[in-house]
Amino acid sequence: MLPVLYLAQREFGYIGPEVMDYVAEIMDVPVARVYGVVTFYTMFNMKPIGRHHIQVCRTLPCALAGSERITAAIKEKLKIDVGETTPDGRFTLTEVECLASCGTAPMMQVNDDYYENLTEKNVGEILDRLK
Amino acid sequence: MDPVKITLDGKEITTEKGKTVIQAAADAGIDIPHYCYHPKLTIAGNCRMCLVEIEKMPKLQIACNTQATEGMAVKTQSPKVLEARRAVMEFLLINHPLDCPICDQAGECWLQDYYMKHDLTPSRFDERKEHERKREIFGPYVVFDGERCIKCTRCVRFFQEVTHTDELTVVNRGDHSTIALFPGQTLDNPLSVNVVDICPVGALTDRDFRFKVRVWYLKKTPSICPGCSTGCNISVETYQNRIARFKPRVNEAVNSHWLCDEGRYVFHSLTEGERLTSPMIRQEGGLVPVDWDTALQAVAAGLAANAPAAAILSGRSTNEEAFLFGRMMKKISPEAKQEVFYRERELTEVEKVLMSPDRSPNFRGARHMGVGSEAGVEPLLQAIIEGRLRSAYIVGEDLVSLSEDGENLKSALGKLSFLVVQDIRMTPTAALAHVVLPATHFGEKAGTYTNRRGRVQKLEAAIVPPAGALQDWEIFSRLLGESYAAPEEIFAVAAREVPAYAGLDYEKIGALGADLEAQKQ
Amino acid sequence: MEKILLRNIDAPDSHTLAGHRSRGGYRALEKVLREMTPEKLIDEVKASGLRGRGGAGFPTGMKWGFVPKDNPKPKYVVCNADESEPGTFKDRLLIEKDPHAIVEGTIIAAYAIRSHTAFIYIRGEMFYGAQVLERAIDEAAAAGYLGKNILGSGYDIDLILHRGAGAYICGEETGLLSSLEGGKGWPKLKPPFPATHGLFGSPTVVNNVETLAALPWIIEQGAARYAAIGTEKSKGTKLFSVSGHIKKPGVYEVDMGYPFKKFLEEDCGGVANGRKLKGVIPGGASMPVLRAEELDGITMDYESFQAAGTLLGSGGVIVMDESTCMVRAAWNIARFFAHESCGQCSPCREGCHWMEKIFNRIEHGAGRAGDLEMILSISGNIGGNTICPFGDAASWPAAAFIKKFRSEFDEHIAAGKCTIH
Repeated sequence: MLPVLYLAQREFGYIGPEVMDYVAEIMDVPVARVYGVVTFYTMFNMKPIGRHHIQVCRTLPCALAGSERITAAIKEKLKIDVGETTPDGRFTLTEVECLASCGTAPMMQVNDDYYENLTEKNVGEILDRLK
Repeated sequence: MDPVKITLDGKEITTEKGKTVIQAAADAGIDIPHYCYHPKLTIAGNCRMCLVEIEKMPKLQIACNTQATEGMAVKTQSPKVLEARRAVMEFLLINHPLDCPICDQAGECWLQDYYMKHDLTPSRFDERKEHERKREIFGPYVVFDGERCIKCTRCVRFFQEVTHTDELTVVNRGDHSTIALFPGQTLDNPLSVNVVDICPVGALTDRDFRFKVRVWYLKKTPSICPGCSTGCNISVETYQNRIARFKPRVNEAVNSHWLCDEGRYVFHSLTEGERLTSPMIRQEGGLVPVDWDTALQAVAAGLAANAPAAAILSGRSTNEEAFLFGRMMKKISPEAKQEVFYRERELTEVEKVLMSPDRSPNFRGARHMGVGSEAGVEPLLQAIIEGRLRSAYIVGEDLVSLSEDGENLKSALGKLSFLVVQDIRMTPTAALAHVVLPATHFGEKAGTYTNRRGRVQKLEAAIVPPAGALQDWEIFSRLLGESYAAPEEIFAVAAREVPAYAGLDYEKIGALGADLEAQKQ
Repeated sequence: MEKILLRNIDAPDSHTLAGHRSRGGYRALEKVLREMTPEKLIDEVKASGLRGRGGAGFPTGMKWGFVPKDNPKPKYVVCNADESEPGTFKDRLLIEKDPHAIVEGTIIAAYAIRSHTAFIYIRGEMFYGAQVLERAIDEAAAAGYLGKNILGSGYDIDLILHRGAGAYICGEETGLLSSLEGGKGWPKLKPPFPATHGLFGSPTVVNNVETLAALPWIIEQGAARYAAIGTEKSKGTKLFSVSGHIKKPGVYEVDMGYPFKKFLEEDCGGVANGRKLKGVIPGGASMPVLRAEELDGITMDYESFQAAGTLLGSGGVIVMDESTCMVRAAWNIARFFAHESCGQCSPCREGCHWMEKIFNRIEHGAGRAGDLEMILSISGNIGGNTICPFGDAASWPAAAFIKKFRSEFDEHIAAGKCTIH
């Protein structure tokens, strides 16, 4: 189920009701089951998000290393709050829990890639490079 | 049976290998409090209310998922257990809305009941409660309240395991977990309202019953559903002499814990509307009220003078009524063709879980009692339409409305020389009669039904018929010239004359019925 | 200190098959196939004293021994690569730098329980790690270490990589199995246990990445050599992930029994920025925090941490210096558990977020008298009453922070704000 949902998300951009129906059909399972699975996991999006999904780790080791300052810097730069998307659809900003990168904290994941050892300065540069 | 001995609070009880502690306790009459456990559904183990202390096990164990093993010592009242129960109750209540004053479940709510029995400590929660969707219409009969829900998942499991329709699921996670329908879907399968029965709280409620009456005012009468020949055991729940709702009674031999939606609400169509309160005879201007003696004399005379007659008995008539009707018609109109109303229909897969393909709960019992033949009612209706009969006595069925050929049947009935209709309301069929006799419906009857599988089960009268109406059995016994004190007496006579029923009586039938086959042994 | 798990990772080609083989890789597997029956293999691993490295520390050989040999159902081995315990990042290092050790270890474990289908369940966020592992699996298959009749031994084994999708609870072994079966990551009721009723109801063994990665060395060098390292109850080496206010964060391989305080002050360089140590969480965020004064005499092994009132867990060492507000730290962890609770059972579903709400209020200046007793009571009511150990994992840190730093919490409540900053 999870691999199929990943494929669906890659193909359709996000997993809305029509996509869940489609997955239910090809997996031959009740659509309610697909619905329950999609809503359970944080990495499945039921609504479209920005081209670059910025996920800043907020759990304790990163917090000790100043993750809140990184999030504040991103909010300041992009003029959006956590949970929001820039009007041009370029960035979505969320906070996530531990990404197993505590030794190189603070850090964030953008789409599939980790960006570690962040500073308030270099995070801006990283975002500038993401078109 | 592979016996296993355990002790429960010091008392030794014998159970079977394979039973869980909660089942063994229930069999011994001890209720271990629980929400998510249900004897007909898979074990979920998520409410944690049934935690008990088991000797030699360091942690408390859930009784619903612990197999009873030889020598196991279970404590259901130890301080640790009582503390855990209070803890679970507290957790379930912290986000629960203060809905009791407006919640239908009040009076039969397991949160209320267990709080009174196992908790009684004041709430310590002093934060903002989580909010959820309220009053969400799931389907034509079921409404959902996400705040009241305790996520026991009984409803989810019911639709997965009993109806196999899988409409509901749990979405999200943590304390945002909630029950949901896939967007755009409706909860309208034929057994949907059973989840209202099994929901321990007011999260799933019955739209038909909504706000009608507080449950502690209901009078509860055990009876049998008149919807079809499955004969589901029900509790007819009434208030101020009106039926408020049906609830299923547990009978593993018939309906287990379930009731279909159609049967659950059939009392509306079968009992509502203005009642007939006096016998009537057709005169120049139309139907006029008369006394019973006049009416019954007219019936006897009319049928005798207008052979051949058709006698059509309702599929909802009891065995006692059918027994008297058959003999009565033989006496008054020996050539009369007698049939019980019975019509088959196609059932869907989900309907087949519980329902029978007919709307005649006692067609089989009536045939046993001597009414009707293998040919069935359809050829007889055809004979009426073709004008081959001169009179008819129709009991309890509005044939004109039920017929596919309503216009032809109506005109044919209108052309009969003599028509008697015995019913509870002035139906289109009764409006054609020469004599109308006011009778009773299933909710006002005591008697027996024999279901499709040959099980004899008892109806009890839940409400009182309106003044002026007579019980069907009383009408037939007067026409027959016999006298009975109550249906039980009629059954005793029938049991002597119908070999299949020999040896049966109301006591043997009891609350759960008796199989005819078994009686033969 | 012995380098077992990290012996290969410094080479630039450590993740390739060629690199792995050049340093003796897959010789252990060849030895197993050539010389050992599954029973002998299980005995060897039992003798090594290897304990599960995911956090529970259950003896690995014993776990394998629970799988019924004559059960007709297919058997499964699952490598738990769902590393999500805050403060832990050692599995990620092995995945990215020594994937073939994991592949080899998984095949060895499969052989031990006569499994022909093995899975690696990797958390969804580790996209890069999944790519590295997928490539390693392909290389191994091409070289004949996976598939039918591997290395001509007559033994068949398939290895499938499966990505998670963002849920800490999928690191709990039965939550993982539920997810692998295509559902929500809901942990299953135990009994029955995965050894008899696991994946798809079949006998299953779930082992952590680090546990499996240790197997090739143990087989090649022998159980006795492994058991010669460490303490009486904690054999071999363990990877510790060190983060927080420490000079040299990173993954360290440590002989079990090494002195904890020495490890922090010398091997890890001590607290950064010349500040004083205030507290340390030794085994990932689930484990009770230790005050700086409590570290004397503690050695890095299961028994010593347990005697000190905490647990070794995943070995995620989170270092906090005197600038740390313990109220904020406790809230951070409570928030983590509230977010990750699967929601299945009532104590955890309702209790975790209740604790988070109270910590949140205290942190933001609205604490009240009785709040701390309330959290301690809630914590006690969750622990031991849940379907899976997540309930304990959520309740221990809440209670430990309050117990160990009580005066700081009291001052924070009384002052209506943080008294550290």
